[in-house]
Order: sequence, then structure tokens, then C-alpha cells
Amino acid sequence: MEHSNALENQIIRFSGVTKRFGRVYALRDVSFGIRKNDFVFITGPSGAGKSTLIKLLYMGERMSEGYAIIDGMNLARISRRQIPELRRKIGVIFQDFKLIGSLTVFQNVALVMEAAGFKSRSMIKERVEDLLELVGLAHHADAYPPTLSGGEKQRAAVARAMVGKPKIILADEPTASLDPAASERVLQLLRAAHARGATIVITTHDRELLSRFDARVIYLENGRRVEAPDCDRGAEMQEPEARDDGEMA
Amino acid sequence: MIRVLRRAFSDFIRHRFLHGVCLFTIALAVFIVCAFTMFFINAGDLMKQWQRGVRINAYLEQDAGQSTARKAREAAGQIEGVESVSYIPREQGLAWLKDQLGAQSSLLSDLEENPLPDALEIKPAEGLEGVEEIESLAEKISALPGVADVEYARKWLHQFYGIYNLFRITAFVMAGLVFVAIMFIVANTMRLILYSRREEIEITRIIGADEAFIKYPFYLEAAMLGLCGGAAGVGLLYCAYITVMPNISAAGFLPFFRVRFIPPAFAAFILISSMLVGWLGCWITIRRFLRV
Repeated sequence: MEHSNALENQIIRFSGVTKRFGRVYALRDVSFGIRKNDFVFITGPSGAGKSTLIKLLYMGERMSEGYAIIDGMNLARISRRQIPELRRKIGVIFQDFKLIGSLTVFQNVALVMEAAGFKSRSMIKERVEDLLELVGLAHHADAYPPTLSGGEKQRAAVARAMVGKPKIILADEPTASLDPAASERVLQLLRAAHARGATIVITTHDRELLSRFDARVIYLENGRRVEAPDCDRGAEMQEPEARDDGEMA
Repeated sequence: MIRVLRRAFSDFIRHRFLHGVCLFTIALAVFIVCAFTMFFINAGDLMKQWQRGVRINAYLEQDAGQSTARKAREAAGQIEGVESVSYIPREQGLAWLKDQLGAQSSLLSDLEENPLPDALEIKPAEGLEGVEEIESLAEKISALPGVADVEYARKWLHQFYGIYNLFRITAFVMAGLVFVAIMFIVANTMRLILYSRREEIEITRIIGADEAFIKYPFYLEAAMLGLCGGAAGVGLLYCAYITVMPNISAAGFLPFFRVRFIPPAFAAFILISSMLVGWLGCWITIRRFLRV
């Protein structure tokens, strides 16, 4: 009974997921589960498969083997038409921000709501302004991304990821190109999103960042899920889940 | 819809150079097609005007009496496609011939008797079109009792209709080719635009936009491009028409004929076709370059 409750509570479940690019394995037989409203780090050295895993989560790539379920949607069987529906459940933040340079900050954030089919201009305006206020970019609403600093761009990206009230926020190395102060600001925002009920999944290779969070950590190395390296045992101690079958403790 | 329109318009302005070049090319293509069509329409009008002057002369047999001539005249008047029939007695015919010969009419003075037969001059009805219908009418007249021979400007009509048909076929072929060219121009322009916006399209997909949300502004943009190009082409031709026509009239060319601009219905057809062809060009590009 407890076992089935634990499964039901999982918003993300990967089971034996493999991703190949030709003959090269980016991920091999990766299994884990993430509960609703978890705050999870995925870490590992460069080339470990962190970004590939994030891409699989938002269907930027399709898995080669295994199965993955995100909020009840089976990624192995998802049709092309269902992908936008899945992506509306997910907010994604990238290391390189991926803001549209020809749109203002306001338009970049509003685009998510427009794409989701919101018709009311006033509702969109109100929600976007609230979010820009939250991330401290209200005064830059009409600015274009190329005129912003790295930290400001990433905060705009966080606002964009949060505006659709997604159940999951994926952040792929969100602080890698930011200075410590800007990084801290972005992490505060992700904490705020977590406090609002979102499940947060962050990839990072920054050990210092991991040590500052009381969060679960999933380790990847050469595309496989591994036990925590010796130097990271401290962080591993804080992981509350069993890791071999993807179930929560 | 408003969002789609807004995005299409802003895109139009953002890629104004690319769109400008594409629009100019479409305008030029449409201008050529419309100019050719205008020439074709006016050539047709001119032909009809000349055709109204065509007469079929039916020469009666030499020994045909008044009674035969009267019967032939009545029978000719009842044939479909005949507007009027005039009887020309041989004396009147000879007088007309002398008049036409002018100073050389003395050549006819030595004739002991009038060699000309009585004749019927037949005016075809206005609705009669094409050399075939006139030929068919002439055959019917030649079959009438008492009619020995039929004469009309057969060779001239054949040549003129030959040229007219050549223009008509050329106009159709040109219009077809130009519309295919427009389609490829728009398709190429849209391909460049899609290429320049590939990252933006990718981001829009990641944030949850469906295919319709991404594609519709492009379709609208291409249709607008086709419509504006078509309108510019027609407008350009109209400007040329109102500029050149007064000079032609003043120079006294074709004083009996008024050159007319392409009919509004045809202009509307060109605009709608340009728009649809623009849309089609975009559809081809999107199918090839915007796969998930």
C-alpha cells in the first residue's frame, strides 16, 4: 500500500531509460523517481548526461529505450500532438537563457501564456507583471534581452518558466554563467517557485551549490546513475530516497 | 487571430529588406502578366471591332433571274448569324468597281457587256465570334440555290485570329509560369525567414506552443506578401496606363479605339491568386523545413 502511494506521488518516473546518439550512449539504463514538490539536483561531470536527461524530460529528445512517466504522461508513447500539452506542465530554464532577442522581456514571458491559449490580454498582463515584479525586472519589462546583464536575462528566463504555473521546473545549469550574487538571486527565485508547489529539478556540476542546499541529489557519470562520489558523501547523506529502483523511501 | 496578425505584421517589418525584395519581384511578375493580359483583352476588342466590318459577298449565277435573286436573299436572311442582307444588282456592282478604280476606270469602258453577276452583301450578326463561325456561315450561304460563289476576307481573318490565339495561349502559359515563379519566390523567402528564426521557433516549441501557434503567422505573412506583391503589380500597371494613355491618344494612334485597363474582376482574381500562391509557397516551405 505504502509502495503504491509512493508511486502515485511521483510526478517524474524514469525506468531503465537509455538514450543513444548513433552508437554513442548519452544515458544508459537510468532509473529514478521524483515526488511532487521535490527539490532535486542532478549532478555529475561534464558529459555525464545531465543535459540529455533534461532534454528527455521536456521531449527535446526521445528516449531510445525504457520508459518515463511525467505527471501521468508516458513519454515512450506520447504522440506529436501531445508534446505541447506535456511542455505546458514544465517550465525550462537554460544556462544560455534562450530568450527571444527580438521580443521584449514582457513579450518573452507573455509568449508562454499566449502559446498556452490564454486569450485575455488583461489576465496575461496582470500575471506577467506580477512575475516580473517577483523576479525584480518590472522596470525592464520593455527592454530587449540583448540589453540585459546575464543575471537579469536568467531572472527573465525564470519568470518565463514560472508564468504558466507549471508543475515542474527544469533548470539546466541555471547558474553556470552567472556571478555569485546573480546565482543566489536565481536560486532564491527557484526556492520561491518550490514554495509555491512546483517540483524543481536542477542540473549542476557546482559542488559548492549542492552543499548549500538540503536537497536530494542524483549523480550521473558516463550516462549512468551512480552512487555519490566519496567527496560528495556529505550531500549523499541528505538524500532521503533509495536509488536502485527509483522508488522513494 | 489578433496575435497572429500582430506577429505577422511585426515580422513583416522586421524582415523588411527580404520582404521588400520578394514583394518587388512578385510585383514585377504580376505587372508582366497583367500587361500581357491587358494587351490580349484590347487586341480582342480591336478584333471584334474589325470583325464588325467583315462582309460576306455571295455572287449569284450569271443567268439567275430576279426571282432566284429574291429567293436567295430571303433564304440568306433566315440563316442564323446573319444580321442583314443587301441585294447589289450587277449594274451597281460595276458602278462601284469603276468608282474604286478611279482614274483607271477607263479600262472597263471597252467591255461590251457587264461581266459582273448580281450579288448579295451579307453582314454577320454581332454575336458571331471567331473565324470558324464566319467560315461556317459562308458555307451555308454558298449552299443556297442560285449562289455561284462566296467571297470574304478569309485569309486575313485566319491570320488575325492566328495571332490572336497565339497571344491568348502565350498569356495563359505566361500566367501559369509567373504564378509558379511567385510560389517559388515566396517559398524561398519564407525558407530564409524560417532559417533566420529557427532558434526562436525552437524556443517557442519548448515553452509549449503547438504547431498551429508557430505556423499560422508564417502562413499569414506569406499570404500578405503575395497580396501586397499582387496589389503593387496591378497598381504599377495602372500608373503606367494613366501615364501612357493620354500620350497615345494625343499622338493620334488608333483614334477609333479606346484602350481599356484590365477589368476589376480580373484584377481581383490576380490579387486573390497572388495571395493563394503566396500561402502555397509557404506551405511547401513549412512542410519541408518545419518538421517536428
